[in-house]
Amino acid sequence: MRGWKDRIKHITKTQHPIFFRMNNNSKEYDVIIIGGGVTGAGTARDCALRGLRTLLVERGDFADGASGRNHGLLHSGARYAVSDTESARECIEENMIIRKIASSCVDPCGGLFITLPEDGDDFRKTFLTSCEAAGIEAREIDPKEALIMEPSVNPDITGAVVVPDASVDPFRLNALNILDARLHGAEVLTYHRVESFIMEGNRVMGIKVLDTLSNERKEYRAQVTVNAAGIWGQVIAQMAGCKITMFPAKGSLLVFGHRVNRMVLNRCRKPSNADILVPGDVVTVIGTTSSRVPISECDNLTVTPDEVDILLKGAYQLSPTLSSTRLLRGYSGVRPLVADDSDPDGRNISRGIVLLDHAKRDGVEGFITITGGKMTTYRLMGEVTTDLICTKLGVEAECTTDTTPLPGADRPDDPGHKAPMPRKAAGGRYGTLAQQMAIESGDSVVCECEQVSREEMEYAVRNLDVKTIDDLRRRTRVGMGVCQGTLCARRAAKVLCELFGTPEKEEQLLRQNLRERWKGMIPVCWGETLRQAELMRKTYGHEI
Amino acid sequence: MGGGLSGLTAGVSLLKGGLKVAIISGGLSIHKTSRSEFIKGGGTFLLGDSVTDGVFDGDTLSLVHTQNFGTTPLVARHFILATGKFASGGLASTDREIYEPIFGCDVQYDPDRSHWCDPDFFAPQPFERFGVITDTDGRVKIGGRTISNLFAVGEVLCGTPDIIQSALDVCKQIL
Repeated sequence: MRGWKDRIKHITKTQHPIFFRMNNNSKEYDVIIIGGGVTGAGTARDCALRGLRTLLVERGDFADGASGRNHGLLHSGARYAVSDTESARECIEENMIIRKIASSCVDPCGGLFITLPEDGDDFRKTFLTSCEAAGIEAREIDPKEALIMEPSVNPDITGAVVVPDASVDPFRLNALNILDARLHGAEVLTYHRVESFIMEGNRVMGIKVLDTLSNERKEYRAQVTVNAAGIWGQVIAQMAGCKITMFPAKGSLLVFGHRVNRMVLNRCRKPSNADILVPGDVVTVIGTTSSRVPISECDNLTVTPDEVDILLKGAYQLSPTLSSTRLLRGYSGVRPLVADDSDPDGRNISRGIVLLDHAKRDGVEGFITITGGKMTTYRLMGEVTTDLICTKLGVEAECTTDTTPLPGADRPDDPGHKAPMPRKAAGGRYGTLAQQMAIESGDSVVCECEQVSREEMEYAVRNLDVKTIDDLRRRTRVGMGVCQGTLCARRAAKVLCELFGTPEKEEQLLRQNLRERWKGMIPVCWGETLRQAELMRKTYGHEI
Repeated sequence: MGGGLSGLTAGVSLLKGGLKVAIISGGLSIHKTSRSEFIKGGGTFLLGDSVTDGVFDGDTLSLVHTQNFGTTPLVARHFILATGKFASGGLASTDREIYEPIFGCDVQYDPDRSHWCDPDFFAPQPFERFGVITDTDGRVKIGGRTISNLFAVGEVLCGTPDIIQSALDVCKQIL
């Protein structure tokens, strides 16, 4: 059997996203998955590994919704231990699996639950017993020991518990699931929006989509169609005549320009606003807030000044040193919370996995919705969905996603001490997959902040469905550093256009990227970020 | 104070008017031609230094201290603030206010932080109009009181100043 590396070479030649187009507009599949977030990507991978003919369609880019707008926290489950044992158990089991199968995306940094004087000691006692009941290894340590372990933590802590939290890069986790799905034969279409279903009586036969880049309309048929569209799943379900009541819960987060903490810092109290601080690569993220928003607002979220104030207050309590740390940007996502069918008012909103077989629920055949859950449990969501798909198709195939590593995560990468910086950076991002990128020197750096080379960009364009600089950012971290693209946006646009063979699009790509970067800078635009903003405006604001 | 375009323009103009001029420039000066003209004309260019604070005698600025000179003061009859906006450090900000960091000069800005930026990157940005308030002769104000010998020129000013003209106008006042 050929390894994944051989298959990758094969894919590079035949399925280059620029040249590869599916001309057969009435192609038949076993399963169509709607939504290229981590749930859709994980389901597509599972389906492909089980040999199903799979198509995934995404209206924009991968991880453009909640999958890319979260903390980047691989939950140990401790956060849910007191309130929801089942979710906590799911989290710890999946946490241990994701560490193994996605090692190049995971930083096993560990986590601390800290008690501040105003929190009291009662919650911690319940917390410890709840963690034990859920199978989460939680170890209480002396606050002095905690300060040595994590020097950035608030020195006023009166209690500390170590838990197996970890940090995960959601963009790469998402992209690698897509890549592996393709390596196993799945087909993937980004920038394709579902407009309606092909229905025959009460059966969903497939989808009608609009290619938003070419404005072409296409139809695809499959025996089973899966709705994995996150918060937008309500609208998708409606198109098939099924009613799902979502409760969009907006959460905002802020990015600090340095990695201040080694470990994930949580407040050991009843979950509340701004009480988790997650280190991710070279930055630190504080979150979250929670507020109800109408579905219509989910496409255009902004971080409000009140949310910024709440987040900063919480961040400074966890780690006072953050009060002198530069802020990079703010962003918001929407949790796809679903009302239980017996509770349409949402009094008992579930945070668990929701799998709906619309044949049983609504009498609509060939249609499944997978929603709810958390990024940490994405793989399990894919597994239960694929189990149901297989049952519907009468296929017997075992799930192997819990033991099969994602591309590049088969063994820890050791680029060696003498490797050029961009190769080390790519190795950190992609594990052994970075060997495919042929980064020979440090001479071709496009993004200095994140050490992204031209070769890494080229790899992403050829294998990871990149259409815009923003897509490229989610694959490679280009423009995510302290300068927020001020120095590299033009270079990235130029390289991208060269690779696409469309030099006339350079200005368009650049404008699009600057608008996106700007959106996240506005909520935290003071101090160093305001200085950066002025420089960015002076560099690009008047010229193009 | 400031070795950018407005500071150098004022410096060269004042030298031609027969004054002894020193420019204190915190960072790189990209206006090399103006800089050599200033130095050739007998000006003192203190590169890599920056003013930390000033001592006032009523409404007059008597002297300034710099990073490098420490407790040794620099004394002059007239002072010109040409420190630019945010990127160059002429203006600074917290999440609540915009201020002029050396002397605490009065600054015009919108106190509501949510109005500092326009959501469209390519639109004129409100923060680009924030800056130091001056009287019609270009003198700055501190706590509402005009300082008789401290002028502001160039980008540190509020509104949409003409960088060169604002410097030349102040020189006319001084000369």
